[in-house]
Amino acid sequence: MSNLEKPLLDARDLIVGYPSGGHYSRPVNGASLTIRPREVVGLIGDAGSGKSTLALALMGLVQAPGRILGGSVEFGGQDLTKLSEDELRAFRGRDISAIVQNPRGALNPLIRIGEQISNAYRAHTRATPAEGRAKAIEMLTMVGINDPERRVNAYAHELSGGMAQRAMIAMALAAKPRLLIADEPTSGLDVTIQAQLLDQMWQTVQDTESAILLVSQDLGAIANYCDRVLALHDGKIVEDAPVRQFFAMPQHDYSKEILGLHHAQGDRFPEQVSDAANDILEVEKLRMEFPVRNSDNVVHAVGDFRLNIKAGEAVGLVGESGSGKTTVGRCLVRLLDPTESIIRFDGFDIGSLDQRSMRKFRSRIQFVFQDPFDSVNPRWSVSDILIEPLRQLADMSRAERRKRAEEVMELVGLPVELLERKPRGLGAGILQRINIARALICEPEFLVLDEPTSVLAPRARNALIELLGKLQKELGIALLFITHDLTTVRYLCQRVAVMYLGQIVEEGSVEQVFTAPRHPYSQALLEAHLFPDPDHRRVDHPSDSALDGEIPSPIDLPTGCYLASRCPHADETCRSIPQNLSVLSDGQTVRCWKAEHEEEPAEMAPATKTG
Amino acid sequence: MNEFADTTFAAPKRRFNWLFAIGVTIVAGVTLLALIGPYIGPYDPTLTTPRVSVPPPSLSEIPGLLFGSFSNTLEHPPHWMGTDSSGYDVFSRVIAAPRTDLTIALAANFVSLGIGAVLGLLAGYFRNWGTELLMRVSDVLQSFPVFISAMVLVALAGRSMGNIVLALALVYTPIYIRLTRAEVLQKKVAGYVEAARAMGTPEIAIAFRHVLPNSMTPALIQSSVTIGFAILLTSGLSFVGAGVRPPTPEWGLSISTGANQIILGEWWPSVFPGIAISITVFGFAVLGNALEERYE
Amino acid sequence: MLKYVSRRVGVGLLQLLALTIAVFFIIRLLPADPVARLVGMNASPEAYAQAEQQLGLHRPLLTQLGVYLGFDPEIAPGLIQASLGVSWVTGEPVLKEIGTFLPVTLQLVTLAFVFAFVLSVPIGMAGALNPGGGADKGVFVYSLFAGSQPEFWWGLLLIYLCFFQWGIAPAPLGLLSPLTSAPEPITGFLLVDAVLRGRFDVLHEALSHLVLPVICLSFVVSGPIIKMIRQNMMRALQSDFILYGRSIGLPKKRIGRYALRAAMAPSMTIIGILYGFMLSGAVLIESVFSLNGIGQYAIRSVLNFDYPAIQGVVLVIAAVSLVIYLLLDLIQAAIDPRIVY
Repeated sequence: MSNLEKPLLDARDLIVGYPSGGHYSRPVNGASLTIRPREVVGLIGDAGSGKSTLALALMGLVQAPGRILGGSVEFGGQDLTKLSEDELRAFRGRDISAIVQNPRGALNPLIRIGEQISNAYRAHTRATPAEGRAKAIEMLTMVGINDPERRVNAYAHELSGGMAQRAMIAMALAAKPRLLIADEPTSGLDVTIQAQLLDQMWQTVQDTESAILLVSQDLGAIANYCDRVLALHDGKIVEDAPVRQFFAMPQHDYSKEILGLHHAQGDRFPEQVSDAANDILEVEKLRMEFPVRNSDNVVHAVGDFRLNIKAGEAVGLVGESGSGKTTVGRCLVRLLDPTESIIRFDGFDIGSLDQRSMRKFRSRIQFVFQDPFDSVNPRWSVSDILIEPLRQLADMSRAERRKRAEEVMELVGLPVELLERKPRGLGAGILQRINIARALICEPEFLVLDEPTSVLAPRARNALIELLGKLQKELGIALLFITHDLTTVRYLCQRVAVMYLGQIVEEGSVEQVFTAPRHPYSQALLEAHLFPDPDHRRVDHPSDSALDGEIPSPIDLPTGCYLASRCPHADETCRSIPQNLSVLSDGQTVRCWKAEHEEEPAEMAPATKTG
Repeated sequence: MNEFADTTFAAPKRRFNWLFAIGVTIVAGVTLLALIGPYIGPYDPTLTTPRVSVPPPSLSEIPGLLFGSFSNTLEHPPHWMGTDSSGYDVFSRVIAAPRTDLTIALAANFVSLGIGAVLGLLAGYFRNWGTELLMRVSDVLQSFPVFISAMVLVALAGRSMGNIVLALALVYTPIYIRLTRAEVLQKKVAGYVEAARAMGTPEIAIAFRHVLPNSMTPALIQSSVTIGFAILLTSGLSFVGAGVRPPTPEWGLSISTGANQIILGEWWPSVFPGIAISITVFGFAVLGNALEERYE
Repeated sequence: MLKYVSRRVGVGLLQLLALTIAVFFIIRLLPADPVARLVGMNASPEAYAQAEQQLGLHRPLLTQLGVYLGFDPEIAPGLIQASLGVSWVTGEPVLKEIGTFLPVTLQLVTLAFVFAFVLSVPIGMAGALNPGGGADKGVFVYSLFAGSQPEFWWGLLLIYLCFFQWGIAPAPLGLLSPLTSAPEPITGFLLVDAVLRGRFDVLHEALSHLVLPVICLSFVVSGPIIKMIRQNMMRALQSDFILYGRSIGLPKKRIGRYALRAAMAPSMTIIGILYGFMLSGAVLIESVFSLNGIGQYAIRSVLNFDYPAIQGVVLVIAAVSLVIYLLLDLIQAAIDPRIVY
């Protein structure tokens, strides 16, 4: 690494403040950092730690009414904090540029993409509108958008999230900046798209010889693309280390904490539950179709879904958005009425019960939702929120309910004083614990968790996964853990099922599936997933099993294998014959006749060997 | 496990807001006048005096008159805002009018808010042909031209306070239905609604216990605006002769009484009640806005 | 788009039909006696019965509705025959009467709106550019104040000051003095007709009579418009795409244009609603300035219990409002590509 080179950007003791009640609150309070030419630097920190504020402040930009209260940002021999707004404007986009999360919000909704890119380019050059348009097409080609001549005329709302993010990269890089600040560029994108996009961004920046500051909460992205890692905590940079050193031997307490789970787990997989355990849930059949408005078509959200879960077992259900995993979860707790189903819970078929008869099972099956803020009634106290299920489902006195509420608060590791609070002002991690506490209050035997960690910052996520592992062991609750995050599945679950287009394509123990996936889709998914392992960086090992093309429409499903149009191994048989889920000799199941015939698990690239 | 070590468990503080304070003061003042206004004026607001078209005292006369009225040495109490062409004491009528204006405005608002919130909840939470029909009816009601409809209703039904309340409630209800319904549509897909469902709470209980309380904010904020506009509308109706009957003390009626004389320079019978309306409605608008900023 | 417009027009017509029927029944179910109003309280029972017969009120309600809608053209022409019936007071066709009264109001309200809008956009923007600053606070308080004013009272105040005290405005007695001969109508809009006929004396006189009412109306309507522009502009300026535009160094002018356009699109709906509201609220200002607009006509009809005229006024105002809503929705769609039909 070119450690001796003069820094490209050198920020010293930067302070950013927002006026609040007479004084300034300081999300960034004395942060110092350097970025060298052509370097990829990761910036990690909790939600609300001021990462984004810091990133913008490096370009002299603060969202009103905040301002930079002190410190310096040196770039190319000039202190940006001393420049006038006009000088800064010329600077931004030409020398330092940015891409941000929520690309569709960051693109102007009223103006065509091409014109926006052209405007960005022409802001820093003397180009004519025609040249600007040519540049827009060139940039769109560069970031890997198909058919750029047509796409320049698109509006932001006509693009998918990944495509909009690419358009934004095109805009940011149009004037060839020397530093690109990427603020959570892939949040909200699917795993495979995320990897493609980061690959593309990394490659584009290598080609233009720029540096990157990658702001992210995702340890996987940091480990796979960055050369150096900065950790932001309490408004200061508390750790600055090369990526391998950071993951192997974090120095600061905060870094140790976010990597705690990673270190504790090592190479081990969670222990399997005993074979003698009963199946608490047997889904023999589950099909869910949604009618399409104003047409006779239906969306096949879930078709031919089968899964057994043992008492006390944690099963991960993974897949990309649109795979139907959330719909499955909702059908299991009967928030949705499945089109056709045989769902046995403790021997009873609950799939076809009406809502009244379902009530007596409600206390035994509970659900935890994705968005912790949205899942609690903001007007109720925590105590009222917790005991609501008891009021509905249990026959208890006030005192008994109160006692039970205190018990579950303790169980999820929250102080009892919180019971009197309203949810307002509580963090995501705390609220998600409250949600789990509410789900546990009736002592259920089975818990469905729908992406419970997806909005949590690394620390809170680690703590929640530890908590879930503990609850599973101590209370013997079976979990269905619905997620797109393979890393958490690897930490928490005994078994995993991979879904694609409403079907399970592969199912087995986490160890089996993660070390030797057999279905081409699982292979691609694991390949694209960014595990927090700096020893097997994606940028050092170019991958080959990426899937081409788009997911087929769930309204008009293919006749043969659903993956055939995208699978590198597909042939005529795949395209014409529907695939069945078959059990292999080692207990793993797979929906692919080729994999079934091979029996020998295909060797995978080392990216899945996690550490 | 100190992920929330830095979380304060104290509820967040609020900042003092000048506008809010002004709004509250005005609204409280008008409410007080609505309670005691008719009794504290120097004259009976519904009876004429023999003195016609007396102008208000000039500034220099005020100290003397104040002294006189406290020491009871005047032959009759002063006409602080003059008298109109019929001999009514303008001041007594201006401070007695909130009883009429505010009662009408509050009643019309809360009748339409109550009906609108419940219907809006039903229309948003339970989508079926019945609630669709309800929305179409509400659409038709909303396409009524507000002022003229109110005028027609009151004039044909009879110029009483009750009829004015009903007419205003009829034109305001669709607004509340829409507001509440829009909010319900957003709130009914909230996680806490599904969570309640997952624990077996009956739908009607979810609708009224979870969804309704969380969907009321826009309607309550709108209330402040609606009350203000109801006052404007009430006085406007009186002004064109389709409101309350004289001699009920009502600001619009007072303005209307003075309107014919204003070309002749007799400004006081109209100007003072107008100032009262202006301040009152402004107060409600300010209050509504402060509430909107606080709760949205 | 043609499909969208025709669908909107279709829905609008249905809505107007429902409104017509609703108004028809509401006014007949209210305890008012139009016959007594017409013939006087002391009229003989025979005279009363004769008047009732003449107005067609002796027929069953549904038959009356059928006649009004035009299903019995042999009794009288109705809506289907493009007739709004005949005024019970003047005996003139309601449509013709509205045709002479409506342009006065449209002219007044449109002038006031254009005036208010042109002034409000820069003021609202000035407030939004520096949120929380002194100018913004001033703009904000003004918008709340103006939006909560009784415009008829301001009219009287202006008349007192400008006419009585200072003598700079003409007497508030209509658009033209009785001595001026109005030009032969072409469009019905006096200002337009005066120009077309080359009668600039009439134009001048009418404009001078319109100054005070237009100021009054624009003052009141500028409140909500400024408030809306300020709010939309602030929202636009705080949006991610403006921040992002700044972070890639777009020039100030370009940022301003991005924000203005984003602020305009959502403003259109509210402008439409305000226009409809003003159209019906112009009653008061017309009454203060003795302008013979649709509002004056409405007051006359209401106080005389002139049912056909009342129905006509409500129907026509609702129809004009619906057309305005449609036009503004089309403008909004032209600004915002996310709105598709």
